[in-house]
Amino acid sequence: MTGSTRRMLRSPAVIITMTVLVWFIAAFLLWPNANLLIQTFFPDGQFSGRAVEKLLSSERAMTSLANSFLLAVALAITVNAVGIFIVLVTEYFHIRGARVLWLGYATTFIYGGIVLAAGYKFIYGADGIVTKFLAGFFPDMDRSWFEGFFAVLAVMTFATTTNHMLFLGSAIRNVDYQTVEAARNLGASPWTILRRVVLPTLKPTIFAVTILSFLTGLGALSAPQVLGGQDFETITPMILTFANSTTSRDLAALLALVLGVATIAMLSVMTRLERGGTYHSVAKVAAPLQKQPIGHRGANIAVHVAAYLLFLIYVFPLALVVLYSFMDSAAISTGVLTLDRFTLDNYVRVLSQQSALKPFIVSIVYSALAAIISVGGLLFVTRLMLKYRGWLMSGLEYLLHIPWILPAAMIALGLLITYDRPNPLVGGFVLSGTVVILLIAFVIVKVPFTLRMLKAAFSSVNGSMEEAAAIMGAGTLYTFRRILLPAVLPAAAAVAALNFNNLLDDYDTAVFLAHPLYQPLGLQIKANTDGGASVEAIGNTFVYTVLLMLVMGTVMYLVYGRLNRTRRSPRARRVPLQPVGGSAGTPNTDMPGTATVDGTSSARVP
Amino acid sequence: MRKPLSAVTLAISAAFLLTSCGQGDTAAEGDGSAEAGTLVVYTNSNSEGRGEWLQAEAAEAGFDIEIVGAGGADATNKLIAEKNNPIADVVYGLNNVYYEQLKKEDVLEPYTPEWSGEVDESLADPAEDKAYWPLVQQAIVLAYNADTMSADEAPKDWPELWTEDEYKDRYERVTGMGAATTQLVMAGILSRHRDDSGELGVSEEGWSQIEQYFNNGVPAVKDLDLFARFAEGEVDLGQMPSSSIPGREEAYDVTSGAVAPEIGVPYAIEQVAVVKGTDQQEQAQEFIDWFGSAEVQGAWAQEFNSLPVNESALEQAKPEVIEFDEQFTHQDIDWTFVEENLAGWVEKIELEYMQ
Repeated sequence: MTGSTRRMLRSPAVIITMTVLVWFIAAFLLWPNANLLIQTFFPDGQFSGRAVEKLLSSERAMTSLANSFLLAVALAITVNAVGIFIVLVTEYFHIRGARVLWLGYATTFIYGGIVLAAGYKFIYGADGIVTKFLAGFFPDMDRSWFEGFFAVLAVMTFATTTNHMLFLGSAIRNVDYQTVEAARNLGASPWTILRRVVLPTLKPTIFAVTILSFLTGLGALSAPQVLGGQDFETITPMILTFANSTTSRDLAALLALVLGVATIAMLSVMTRLERGGTYHSVAKVAAPLQKQPIGHRGANIAVHVAAYLLFLIYVFPLALVVLYSFMDSAAISTGVLTLDRFTLDNYVRVLSQQSALKPFIVSIVYSALAAIISVGGLLFVTRLMLKYRGWLMSGLEYLLHIPWILPAAMIALGLLITYDRPNPLVGGFVLSGTVVILLIAFVIVKVPFTLRMLKAAFSSVNGSMEEAAAIMGAGTLYTFRRILLPAVLPAAAAVAALNFNNLLDDYDTAVFLAHPLYQPLGLQIKANTDGGASVEAIGNTFVYTVLLMLVMGTVMYLVYGRLNRTRRSPRARRVPLQPVGGSAGTPNTDMPGTATVDGTSSARVP
Repeated sequence: MRKPLSAVTLAISAAFLLTSCGQGDTAAEGDGSAEAGTLVVYTNSNSEGRGEWLQAEAAEAGFDIEIVGAGGADATNKLIAEKNNPIADVVYGLNNVYYEQLKKEDVLEPYTPEWSGEVDESLADPAEDKAYWPLVQQAIVLAYNADTMSADEAPKDWPELWTEDEYKDRYERVTGMGAATTQLVMAGILSRHRDDSGELGVSEEGWSQIEQYFNNGVPAVKDLDLFARFAEGEVDLGQMPSSSIPGREEAYDVTSGAVAPEIGVPYAIEQVAVVKGTDQQEQAQEFIDWFGSAEVQGAWAQEFNSLPVNESALEQAKPEVIEFDEQFTHQDIDWTFVEENLAGWVEKIELEYMQ
């Protein structure tokens, strides 16, 4: 036992916190997932290959697996292509109206996940507004043109460039302009500079976001469910199908394990490669990057056109959703968009009908509780971790990162099969069928991000203040309460706000665990995308979308808008951007690249 | 001594934050069910306004109910999954196969309702201590669009759908196994090919029938009604429980016919039962007494074209419904055999045939 560990165990407060922490880790991070393994392979205490056999002999399951990997690979390519392009046009090249373009591309920060998938379906789907409009001119067109692999890939591509905007955007801003100038003085063409000077420094970041995109595709749930149609099924929706039946749960568990193993493998590859020497060009006095004009006239026009086309692709569905949220039912069902159909009926309905408003309230309550609990609970834990570094604490810290490396579907399933019967770990209670289980899942998936952010916040507190307090005789707790807490509180509030945003439109966790009478918004929106949904339900979804964007946008503004205004220093971003939205099966990808990426995020997986 | 004391306080509050979820939510849950006295009713029979009607009528009779709708199999799975902590108080509308499953899983609480004398006891739970009692019965039929297909042109039995070229791309095939109707259709086909040495009690020929069912046909679209697709001309044939037909004909303005195979059609006998572990057992029983009574079942039959099992309620059923039902014979299905194998069948179909 090291000195600090021994010292730590002397304080009763610490011991209590540690007990709670160890219990939390054992009950919610370790045992459910271990139990999932056991239930899959040793259902009655004996090894059983049933699940493996069944899945291997199922063409459908194998196709789904193949589809998931296909989507993952394709997504890694397309997201990179689009993502790098939008980062270059907003941050690197001199493009007219770059601010406007940035705003358009940044819509994915507040519009993603199931909400985005639903929006695309209402617009381009078989009964979508645009499809109806087009069918008026081309009656013979294939109405379900926006379905299957192509549609899923397209939607997910445009929904998950968020990571590029965050990480690559910040990385490119940190490129030392002196290197660019030096290259130019040596006679390099703009293309060579981009290819040989700028992009190589971005390589680690590009690599990290590539892995993220891959994992996003691998665990995708809502986009394939909403837009995949019959011919494009992926793993996570299948997990859901089998998870519902008690007799087939082992199949669901096995599929979840496949996802989990693939995720862990990709992540370890990433850490390995990162460790293997990252090249940083950090000048002592870095000159800020200046935007590069595109010299070639033709190329310049082409890039402008492409940038604005992309802008339209990003903004068009969103603009239609906002506009149609103000149209009456008849207009929504026929695809008409005129001023005299303007109405506030949809808003009145959502805000006044209890059944329509309830999912929204449920989501807000869940997200708020989970945000407060995760931050509140971890505040003291994080503090202890920083104060008493030692084998015990670093071990616990590693364990708290488990939710990062596991797909959301697996976490949910583990909780479900472990706590559907009385379990001593949770005081003999049954958690399934209660409203608590989803809250627990929400807290679990937010633990790694919260821990990491709080750690950063505590580390940035000036140590001499704490020392001074100690010298003047203040106790540990007094110091914590009066010195440390006030210092980290703004950051903690920001982390809580981001957690709140992130959980607000969750679908991937809720679909496994939600209480039938308290269904959060994500489930309601998904239900509204099904074939027989009424026009009113579609109108409601549009309103939900607008309200969600308002709430999330406000939260984002409060967290970043104000931060950025007050501090423009290079060290500014204490709380990195974290886009909202659940991540299907993907690890809660708020993770990557410690060395290269100073922020963390989770992609919004539609 | 100040230091450790305040440390304890803080640790407790930290711990409380970690666990406070528990308390907050038990209270929230209480609001939903126990305290307010709301009965949670699970059913697969809430569509086409049934749920709303029942909720309104029940409210008038003094029952505050909340209906959770799901496909028959999904509802069953849900009840089994929640059996250690049931949310539902009452379950109605599932057919006897599912109730038998529920009983085996110990989900139901035996109860004999007041109206038990008015129904054919042989349709209820066969056990001594009866847990479920029948409400309505209906045929699970192959419906066709009579506007585009005459009775002569229509197939005579299910297998023709995938053996005769003219129907191959005209029938709607399912894309999920969650609905009770779907499982009964599958049971109706598989039962014809019972072979105790075959996989899951079914001969290879039987499985090949299922394979062909899924290889042909037009995939169903979730929640898009079959009759709506009749109206659009997308398909001409598909499965339908008989009581749903008249309402849909009206809603989508189509005329339909039903195939009456010689071998008969599967019948769903829809039951009602109290869920074990409910904290409102008395109220759940009262609700069942009310819901299964001749008066309510008669009104239900009038409203939703059902065929009540309750004999005095049957008198109030619409004559055309009774007449419609008379064209079918009951397919001879060994329900015990079906119960034993259904879960395996569904899993195999999901894994191997579903596309």
